[in-house]
Amino acid sequence: MSRALLRSALELRTPAARLPPSFLLPIRARSFNSTAPIIEPTSSASASSHDAASSTIQPPSAETQRANSTLSSRSSTSPQTLYPPSPPPATPPVLSDSVRQLLPLLASQPSHYITVHIHGRPYLVTPGDAIRLPFHMPGVVPGDVLRLDRASVIGSRDFTLKGSPYIDDRVFECRAVVTGSELEPVRITVKKKQRTRRARRVRSQHRFTTLTISELKIKGVEEIAGEGSSA
Amino acid sequence: MTVKALKALSTGRNGLGAFILQCKKMDFHFCDWAGSSRGMNGFIKSQLAKFAAAHPQIEVTVSPRPSRHPIIVGHYVNGQSRSLCVKNMQPLEILKMAESLRDTNGEKLKRINKPVSSINPSVRGVWSPYHGNGMAV
Repeated sequence: MSRALLRSALELRTPAARLPPSFLLPIRARSFNSTAPIIEPTSSASASSHDAASSTIQPPSAETQRANSTLSSRSSTSPQTLYPPSPPPATPPVLSDSVRQLLPLLASQPSHYITVHIHGRPYLVTPGDAIRLPFHMPGVVPGDVLRLDRASVIGSRDFTLKGSPYIDDRVFECRAVVTGSELEPVRITVKKKQRTRRARRVRSQHRFTTLTISELKIKGVEEIAGEGSSA
Repeated sequence: MTVKALKALSTGRNGLGAFILQCKKMDFHFCDWAGSSRGMNGFIKSQLAKFAAAHPQIEVTVSPRPSRHPIIVGHYVNGQSRSLCVKNMQPLEILKMAESLRDTNGEKLKRINKPVSSINPSVRGVWSPYHGNGMAV
C-alpha cells in the first residue's frame, strides 16, 4: 500500500522540478521565439569584425557602377532577442549610392532568391522552399516563426545584391516557419576487427528540424532611411 | 487539338501562407494491470490533460489495451500513422515521445542529402549562349 502511495505521489509530482524553466516550455516558447533571430548571435567581437562590411549591387552589364561603400556593423536587433544585443553603432549606417539607385530596381523584379546563413551554412532559397536543417534546433516547436537576418546574396533575374560577407539586415525581411522535426532512417555501421569473427552493429538515428520560407521582402530605401533615423 | 485534363490543381506547401500541424490525432493506449504500463498510467493522470490542452488541433483518445505494452499512435494529415511503444518509461519520457510524434509529418523516413527542396521555377532562368554580351575568347 505504501509503495502504491509513493508511486502515485511520484506520478502526480509537478513537472516543474524536472522540466526546463517555464519560458522554454512549448507554449511559452511559441510566443517567446516568435520573432527572435535564432541564428548567429551578434557579439561585440563579431560586430567589430564586420565594421568594414560593404555591399554592392551588380547590374548585369554595368561594371562602372560597382562602387563599394562601407556599411557599418549590423543595426540594433529587435527588442525580443534570445541573445544580448550588441551595442548600437555610434553613427547610423549609410547605404551606398549604387545600392540606393539599384535597390528599387531589384525590388521591382518579379521573383527573388536569397542566400541565408544559418549557423554559418548557406542556403539558397526562394519563398515557399522547404529546408531540412542538418541539425535539430533546440527550443522551437512547429509553428514558430524565425526571422532570418543573415544573408550574403539577394538576387533577381537581372540584379544581384552581394554583401561582404553579409548584407545589412535592414535591407530585407526573411521569415521561416518551423514545420517540424524529422527522423532519418536508422544508419547501421558494422564495426569489425581484423582476424576476428565478431562484428558489432552500431545504430544511429538523428533528428532534423525542417523549415519553410514563408516571407521574403525587400525594403525600400525610404523605409530603411526612416528606420535609421528613428533608431 | 485534343482536350487535355488539368495536370494538377495545386500542391500543398505547408508554412507558405498558413501553417497546419501535420499530426491530427493521437491515441494513447494503456493497461491497468501490467507493470510496463505504470509510467503511461501516470502520464495519463498527470500530463495528458495539459498536453491535450496545449494542442487543441490534435484529437486525443485514451483507450485500454489489456495485457499489452502501452503505445502511442499518431495519425497524420497525409493519411499515414506512426506508433511508438512506450513500455517501462517514466511520464516525462512519454511526454517527450508524444512531442516527437507531434513534430513529425507522418511521411516515410528517407535519407535527404540536399537541404533545400524547391518547386519554384528558377529565378535566373536557363543560361543561353545566344543572349547577353557574349564571352571574349
